[in-house]
Amino acid sequence: MKGENFLVKFFLVAYLVVFFGYLLGPLFVMSVTAFNSPAFPKMAPWECLTFEWFDVLANDERILNGIQNSVIVGIGTVILSVVMGLAGALLLTEIWPRLRATYYTIVIAPILIPGVVLGISTLVFWDRINIMLGLSSGSFLHNGIFLTVIGQSTFIASYCMLVFIARLQRYDTGLTEAALDLGATNVQAFRKVLLPFMKPAIGSAAVLAFLASFENYNTTTFTFGKFPTLTIELAQKVRYGINPSISSLAFIIIVLTIIGALAHEIYRRRQQLALANGAPVSAVTGKFQLPKFLRRNPASILLVLLALAGFSTIWFAQVYSPTECKMEVREQKRLIQEERINAIRQKRLEQQQEKLLKGPDVFGGSKTAPAPGTGKTIESPGKGTFGSVFNPGNLDKAAPAPSPNKPLESPGKGTFGNVFDPNNLEKSGSENK
Amino acid sequence: MSKGVDVNLENVWIRFGEFVAVREANVTIKGGEFFSFLGPSGCGKTTILRAVSGFLEPSDGTVKIGGKNMAGIGPNKRPTALIFQNLALFPLMKVWENITFSLEVKGVGKADRRKRADELLDMIALSDQADKLPSELSGGQKQRVAIARALCAEPDVLLLDEPLSALDLKLRQHMRTELREIQQRVGITFIYITHDQGEALTMSDKVAVMRAGVIDQIANGHSIYNDPATPFVASFVGENNVFRGKIKSVDGDMALIATNRSGDLLARIATSAKGTLKVGDPAMMFVRPEVCNIAEDPAPAHNRLTAMVKHEEFEGQIYNVFLEGSEGKEIKMSLVNIGQRRQSADGRSLTLEYVPEQAVVLPAGELASE
Amino acid sequence: MNIVPIFKNYFAKNGIGLGSFILVTVTIWVVLLIILPQISMLDFSFRHHLPPPEMGGPKDTYTLEHYKYLVLGAPGSDASYNVVDLGVFARTLLAAFFVTIIDLILCYPLAYYLGQSKGGGLVRVLVLLLIIPYWINEILRAFAFRIIFGDSGVINEFMLAMGLISDPIDFIRANVALYAGLGYAYILLMIFPIYNVIESLDRNQIEAARDMGAPWWRIHWRVVIPYAKPGISSGCTMVFMLSAGALAAPQILGGPSSLWFTQIIYQWFNTGGNWPRGAAFAVILLVTCIVIVLSMMRLFKVRIGDIGK
Repeated sequence: MKGENFLVKFFLVAYLVVFFGYLLGPLFVMSVTAFNSPAFPKMAPWECLTFEWFDVLANDERILNGIQNSVIVGIGTVILSVVMGLAGALLLTEIWPRLRATYYTIVIAPILIPGVVLGISTLVFWDRINIMLGLSSGSFLHNGIFLTVIGQSTFIASYCMLVFIARLQRYDTGLTEAALDLGATNVQAFRKVLLPFMKPAIGSAAVLAFLASFENYNTTTFTFGKFPTLTIELAQKVRYGINPSISSLAFIIIVLTIIGALAHEIYRRRQQLALANGAPVSAVTGKFQLPKFLRRNPASILLVLLALAGFSTIWFAQVYSPTECKMEVREQKRLIQEERINAIRQKRLEQQQEKLLKGPDVFGGSKTAPAPGTGKTIESPGKGTFGSVFNPGNLDKAAPAPSPNKPLESPGKGTFGNVFDPNNLEKSGSENK
Repeated sequence: MSKGVDVNLENVWIRFGEFVAVREANVTIKGGEFFSFLGPSGCGKTTILRAVSGFLEPSDGTVKIGGKNMAGIGPNKRPTALIFQNLALFPLMKVWENITFSLEVKGVGKADRRKRADELLDMIALSDQADKLPSELSGGQKQRVAIARALCAEPDVLLLDEPLSALDLKLRQHMRTELREIQQRVGITFIYITHDQGEALTMSDKVAVMRAGVIDQIANGHSIYNDPATPFVASFVGENNVFRGKIKSVDGDMALIATNRSGDLLARIATSAKGTLKVGDPAMMFVRPEVCNIAEDPAPAHNRLTAMVKHEEFEGQIYNVFLEGSEGKEIKMSLVNIGQRRQSADGRSLTLEYVPEQAVVLPAGELASE
Repeated sequence: MNIVPIFKNYFAKNGIGLGSFILVTVTIWVVLLIILPQISMLDFSFRHHLPPPEMGGPKDTYTLEHYKYLVLGAPGSDASYNVVDLGVFARTLLAAFFVTIIDLILCYPLAYYLGQSKGGGLVRVLVLLLIIPYWINEILRAFAFRIIFGDSGVINEFMLAMGLISDPIDFIRANVALYAGLGYAYILLMIFPIYNVIESLDRNQIEAARDMGAPWWRIHWRVVIPYAKPGISSGCTMVFMLSAGALAAPQILGGPSSLWFTQIIYQWFNTGGNWPRGAAFAVILLVTCIVIVLSMMRLFKVRIGDIGK
């Protein structure tokens, strides 16, 4: 019995590890590549810690332009889909019961229709409208932003509607009646009673809509016209030429996401905590009690750590320069190449000598011997210094490495143990200069 | 405060598809009256209230408030205010904002609203709760906020839809008195919906008893209780012993009924049945438990029965004695506790009697189901 | 069946202004954004491929040529059927089916575990971890898989370094990257519908079954899965539809020799420049997906209302 239990637990843990490895591994790998120096995003042969890809990203006109278009499209989509989704949800509560199933099927269908089909139908339909109205091909109906907003809203509104339906199910229609009874007009009852009730749902629907719009590809790829969104630009880049600046963008998005998720978690927990304690809501939204609140909330500790890590990274990025390291890597590469060229030369020489002497056993040993030896000497510093990026000892280890003539005191334990030594920071700082 | 106005329902029918929720309702409610609709759930009383408040248009007939036909006038244009069964306080507004919502929609400024809210909160003794949310109040406090919110709209007619049903017994009894006091202070017409006869009888000037969409009787509490118009009213309001039978003879106000199991008994003919009961008609006779008494003289008479005591319940101010008459007829008798210790009489046979004028006879009809 | 009182009632309840706003907005959405574009695409797919000036002219008649093309291939070609496009179509559906099954197998245990655990910190963290990857752009997620599975990707480099292989394995060509990426993309859509249903399953039912001596697999087969059926079929429907209609992942992760049906549609619209043909192919995709979903729902006796919960 006990053994079986252990087995079950073991499998559960193994399964969770595999599952979340699958889920989070790619993100981790991608993030790491943002800091590696090779021009093709790679994690495995770690070359140099670099921040240049962030620079490349910040100077990429097309990416920046894509972000701008994405934001414009996103805002338009949020407005349109939230309004349509809300109206759709409200009508569902009103509609004649016999029509309800049909109506629901129609408004939920866009979720199931392939995004490609939505994009095509939007493009075709508005193109025809344009021809029917006799407008020129430059009219707003052909405008990429208009088409993209329309195409995306078609199905994003359905998502929003689902959010609203869930919220409306908890609404007491008596509240609207009470407002009407007290003399409010329909619009007033809607604005002052129903809308405030729907506010949290509107917020989450808007966030959902923006995210869905921001990352949409299938529909947008048919409708964007002259206004490629970020996703489109990324797809072009990924398909036709990759460099790690995309990884750095991913890294930024991942960090922002984690911060957002943690902040949301903290907010939620604070509210829950307050409700559990029976405190009035006004007290909850009041002042920020740091120490007590930190003790109770692991998420906030994480957030603080994350912020510290972020600041230190930015600071480090300004101080640190990877050129030396790169030079070294280049040098190593050159060495490898030379080695190869030598090998080839030697081979030729051998062959020549073979021809001349017809005695193959003379140079047989020297052909293979140097290659592994040099390979080893090249590889070991690279792996040793940079193999573990998130090793806490990494910071000060990284600094002395570029100057190999300086004696490394004790690469393993010694540096590790001194991480919190105040001299340490100073040392690595001065060495960097 | 505005003086209450009349509310008239003239020949009102309300149908939902095939289903008739209200059948030919004719009601006259005088200005300043506390008027109750009493009936079991599903009898159509809430439907009538919704027709008065304007959430529903009658299928036929007219609703008049203050003599004015209300057809086509929406709930927000009628001089009525409704207190909902679940109170329907706005959960996201503070107490004072809830109370002055009717002013807010009229565009009254915040300072004036706050002032009015303080007055009303003072009236309902909740001055220190103005800035709380409804969810932070107790049941009785919510109740009073709902009343204040309705009164703030200065309605001519206040409609109350079973507002006390969610409260516990003690609070309910307290709120009855409070509601009645408020009504007398503001002097407007109150229309009150309830299935609790105690509430209806204690508070109301007049009560309409409803059954399955039909109004059986409209009268003051005293008449409803002592002079019911139908067997339904007699059995729904208070407790009654029912004796079925046929009219044997009629003598002025009194009639002799040949009951199925308890012999011939004498009772007063109800006002509503006067002149219509004839000899041989199927009839029902109602004798209330508290009208029964133990007879000093066991000689048979038309107001005496013999029965065996099955068991007794002591309820404080009264003893309930459950008896079994001939052929298993169950009879309940209530005796006032006069401070003397009663000998347990289980299994004993005794004769009980009643005053014939306090028993009523009605044409046979539908009873309220238990 | 009188419509007039229904409208009268509706406007009485909602007011003229608000009522018509809701009605007009929904009408725009349903008619202008959902129904008309689909009809227009359907209509368009039956037309000849004409240069703009000839549209609406005498040559603009209805034709079945694009549908014929999909089935029979280009007129005059030697093969009697359009083996290439039909093959891609079949392979897309089959691959989408496999992705769905893989996701189901992968997600069911976790959904069950999350749904049946009593909540608490760990579950919240896991849910958070589940959601975080889906805030990251679809393209970037596919890109991550390219980094992992590429010729000089993590796996190949690792295996080379370990000496397991001497030459990098072409995962892209073998479509491993594509399936991994597609499966990854829709995990969330599989987990949450199942999780929502299982969460409402009374734990006592499972304990009762265990009490009666049922082994764990029988408990799942007889108690949990029948109960979770709406969630499972809702998740499967969504994953299937989205994988069959995926475009980004096949474009980025697909091998050079294996096309996805959506890519063919994309080509007709962009490089091919034959819109009606692309529209016809899109109609085929849409209709097939609808048929498959409807038959799945019929098979598992699930209503449309269960989708999207």
